Amino acid sequence: MAKKSKKETPKNKVIEFVLDELEPVSSAKSDKAKSVKAEAAAAEIKLEMIMPAEGTVTEPTPALEPAAAKVELESRRPATEELDLPKLPILKKENRARLQVQSPQRIHFYWSLKGNPYQALSHTLGAETAAYTLVLRLINTETEREELHPIEPEGSYWFDVDAGRVYRAEIGFYSPSRPFVRVLFSNTVTTPRKSPSPRASTHSDWRVTAHKFAEVLDASGFEKDAFDVAMVGDDAEEADTLTHAAFAQLLENSEYARDEVSAEEVRFALAAISSGYTLEELRWKIGPTLFTILQANRERLGSEKTAAALSDYFDIDQTEFDEEEFGSAVGASLVHFPKRFRTRREYSPMSSSTIGMR
Amino acid sequence: MPVGYFSLILHAHLPFVRHPEYPEFLEEDWLYEAITEVYLPLIFIFQRLHETGAAPRVAINVSPPLCEMLVDPLLQERYTRHLENLLDLARKEEDRTRKTDTRYNDAAKMYVENLSVSLDLWNDRYKRNLVNAFRELQDEGVLELITCGATHGFLPLISTEETRRAQVEVAVANYKKHFGRQPRGIWLPECAYEPGVENILKAAGIEYFVADTHALLYGDPRPRFGVHAPVVCENGVAVFARDVETSRQVWSDVVGYPGHPFYREFYRDIGWDAPMKMIKPHLHADGARRHLGLKYCRITGKDVPLHAKLPYIPSLARKKAAENASHFIRERISQAHKLRNTFEGRTPLVVSPYDAELYGHWWFEGPQFLDFFFRQLHFDQDEIAAVTPGDILDSGLPIQVQQPTGSSWGENGYYSVWLMEKNAWMYPYQHDAERKMTEIANKFTAQSAKVHPHIADPEPGTLNMEIGTRILNQAARELLLAQSSDWAFQIYKATTVEYASRRFRSHIHRFDLLYTMLGNSEEVTLSPDHLALLEEIESRDNIFPEIDHRVYCT
Repeated sequence: MAKKSKKETPKNKVIEFVLDELEPVSSAKSDKAKSVKAEAAAAEIKLEMIMPAEGTVTEPTPALEPAAAKVELESRRPATEELDLPKLPILKKENRARLQVQSPQRIHFYWSLKGNPYQALSHTLGAETAAYTLVLRLINTETEREELHPIEPEGSYWFDVDAGRVYRAEIGFYSPSRPFVRVLFSNTVTTPRKSPSPRASTHSDWRVTAHKFAEVLDASGFEKDAFDVAMVGDDAEEADTLTHAAFAQLLENSEYARDEVSAEEVRFALAAISSGYTLEELRWKIGPTLFTILQANRERLGSEKTAAALSDYFDIDQTEFDEEEFGSAVGASLVHFPKRFRTRREYSPMSSSTIGMR
Repeated sequence: MPVGYFSLILHAHLPFVRHPEYPEFLEEDWLYEAITEVYLPLIFIFQRLHETGAAPRVAINVSPPLCEMLVDPLLQERYTRHLENLLDLARKEEDRTRKTDTRYNDAAKMYVENLSVSLDLWNDRYKRNLVNAFRELQDEGVLELITCGATHGFLPLISTEETRRAQVEVAVANYKKHFGRQPRGIWLPECAYEPGVENILKAAGIEYFVADTHALLYGDPRPRFGVHAPVVCENGVAVFARDVETSRQVWSDVVGYPGHPFYREFYRDIGWDAPMKMIKPHLHADGARRHLGLKYCRITGKDVPLHAKLPYIPSLARKKAAENASHFIRERISQAHKLRNTFEGRTPLVVSPYDAELYGHWWFEGPQFLDFFFRQLHFDQDEIAAVTPGDILDSGLPIQVQQPTGSSWGENGYYSVWLMEKNAWMYPYQHDAERKMTEIANKFTAQSAKVHPHIADPEPGTLNMEIGTRILNQAARELLLAQSSDWAFQIYKATTVEYASRRFRSHIHRFDLLYTMLGNSEEVTLSPDHLALLEEIESRDNIFPEIDHRVYCT
C-alpha cells in the first residue's frame, strides 16, 4: 500500500479500543488514557472502551495459567522422554506488538491479537465495519510519515526505514474516509546512525574541526565517512543547503521530499553515482525514501551529469570511489570489517573558519 | 612516556554445552578442543611471560558459561578422558609416521610434545580447574579479567528491562563467585550496544565496556580522537572501541597473518584423512568421523586445493609467527606516530579485541604469535606500552563525554546476524518467556513474603516455598540459556542449525514446563513425577547454582 502523509485523510483521527473487555486502567497510567480519550473525542466518535496503557497493550499480563500451552503434568511421560522431545509451546493468543531494530535501514515487527478484531470492531462501531481493513501502520514519529499494510491478526513484517529515526508500529482498522481505529501499538525504536554525527563537542578540549575529524576517521579506517566530513566542512547547514540545491538541479525539480531524506545520504548517493555506481548497487546502501526518488529520476542520473552537479556546489574536482573488500574473519566469527573506500581527493574541507576552531 | 598504548582484549566464550544425559556428545568437543588449543596454551604462555619478566598486560573476558563449564566436575572428567585419548592417538601417530610416513613426522612429534605438556598442566599444575589459573594470572597482575552477559544474551534484542538487567547482574555475581572481586569491565555480547545499556552496567558497578568502532565514530558529539581514546557515557561508564587496522591485520582471511602458506591448515584433519581402522578406537561410540585435532598440512597457498596441501613444518611456522609479531609491533609504532601527529601530541590508544578462540583453534600459531609479540614488546622496544582498559581509566587521562550509537561487531555492524529471516521466529518465544519470568518472580516473591520460607522436609505433592524457589531459579536458568546469542548466530551461519534450534526449543520448552509446574494457585500439588522432572532439568542445565530468581523482579 502506498505511503501517505498523515495529514491527508481523516484517518489521522484515532479511535482506540482493545479486543476484549478490559481491566481498568491503573491510576499510574491515567494520563495516557486521558490523552487517548481526548484524541478519540477529536474524532467525534464516542468510545465505549478504554485503551489500556502502553505496557499492557504491548505485553499484557495474563493470569499465571498459560492456557494454550497447558500441559497436564499428571499424564506426562517419564521425565527424560519429555525433555528429549523438546517442542515449542503454542503461544497464547495475546495482544503483542513488538518492534525490533535490525539495522539503520531495516526493522522487524511481529504482532498477534488476543481476540477476533472484526468482532470487537463490530461491537464498537455497529454496522459501519464493512469499509474497514485490518492494517499495520508504521509511523516515523518525527516526520509523521507513515505506511500502511493490510494484515492478518497474527504475523510479522520487515520494514525498510531510514537511519537515525524514531518509529512506532500500530495495528488497527483503516478506512479511506473514516478515522483510523487503533487496536494496539508497539514499543518505540530508534534506528542507529549510519554515519558520523554532524555535531562537534562544544567543550574546548574535545572540539574538532571537520578537517581534523576527517583525518581521524581516515585513520580509523572509515574513509567513506572521512570523505563526506571533509566535503561538508564545518558549516553543515550550508553544506546541506548546497546538497539539496545540487540534487534539485540534477532532478530538475526542487519539489522532492527534502525533509525526508538526509543531505548526507544524498551526497553519498551523488558521489557514488558520479563515480559509476548503478542504482541497484546503491539499493541497500541508502534509505528507501531516497532510493524511491532516485528510481523515479533514473534517466537524469548519468555519472557525468551527477559529477557536474556536485562540482557546481562543492569543491570537488574529481571523485573516484573504489571499495576494497577485506573478506571475512578467520574462523567462526562474522566480525565486521568496514570496506576501505578509496578516493582521489585529499581532505580539504570547504571551510573551517565558521566556528573558529583550532 | 610511550608513543602509543596498545590494549589486547580477548573474548573467551563458548555456549553452555553439557549433556550428562549422553555418555559422549559431539558438541561438547567445542570445549575440549578450545581447552587444548586455546585456553591451556594461552594460560601457559601468559604465565611463562610473567615468570620471565616480560610483563604482559591483557584484558580477557572468560564468559560466565565458559567459567561454569570449566569448573564442572563432569566436563572436567570428560575432558581428561578426551585429552588422554588424543595423546594416545598422537603417540601412535608419531610411531606410524616415523616408520611409514616421515613427511608428517615433525608434526606428529609436535603433537605428542604439546599434548604431553597439556596433560601435565591440566592434571598437575592447574588441578583440572582453569578458572583458578585465570584467577591466579589476574592476581599476579598479568590479566584484567572482565565479564560478559550471563549467557551471552544479545542485549538489544532482549525485550524487557528486567531480563536485560538479569543478564548483567547474574554475570557479575558469577564473576564474583569465580574471581573473588567485582569486575571492572564487560564485553557486551557480540559488542552489541544500544543507548541505555550503560545504565544497567552502571547499576551493576561496571566501569567500562567494549564496543565496535562505529559505536564511537558515529556517536554524538564527534569523538575528538576517534576510536584511539575511550569516551564516557553521560553516566560515567567508559567505552573502548575496536581499532580496525589491527583487526584486519590479524583477523582478515584476505590480508590477515593466519592465511600465510606456512601456517597450519585447519580443514585437513586426521579424523577425515586417516583410514577408519586406525582412528576408530579414538572416535565416539557411533564411529562417525570428526575433527580430532591432529592436522598435518600447512595452508600451502590460498588457491591450493585441500588434497594438494603440503606437510606442516612446525619450525617454519614458528619462525613466521615471530616475523609476524615483529611486523605487528613495527606497524603499531608507525600507527602510533601517525595518530600522535593527528592528535597533536596526545598518546593514542589502540584497542584490539578478538575472539580468544582465534588464537590456537582457528589460527594454530596464534599463541606463539602472542608469546613473541609480548616478548618483543617488552624487551626490544619502548615506544608501545601494553595496557588494559582499567590501566587507562586509572591513569586519570581526561575522557570525552559522548553518547555512542547502536552497533555490534557482527557482519554489517548492527544486529542483522542475530535478527534476520531465518532466526526471527525465535523472538516471540523468547520475549514471551522474558515477560513471564518477571511475572512469576514478582508473584512468588510477594507470596514468599507472607509464608515462612523454611519448611523442612517438604512432603511430595506440596508446592512449598523451597520447591517454588527451585522451580523459579531453574526457570531463570532456562530463560538465560534460551537467550544465548550463539543459537541465533549458528542458525544465521547455517553451521549447526539443527543443534542450535534444538537447544533453543529445549530451553523454551523447559521454561514452559516449569512455568506450568509453578501453577496458578497458592497451593499447587507437585507429584513425584513433577519432582523427578524438576530434578532432571536441574541436573541437565546446572549452570549458575548461585542464581537468585529475584533478580528478575520489577
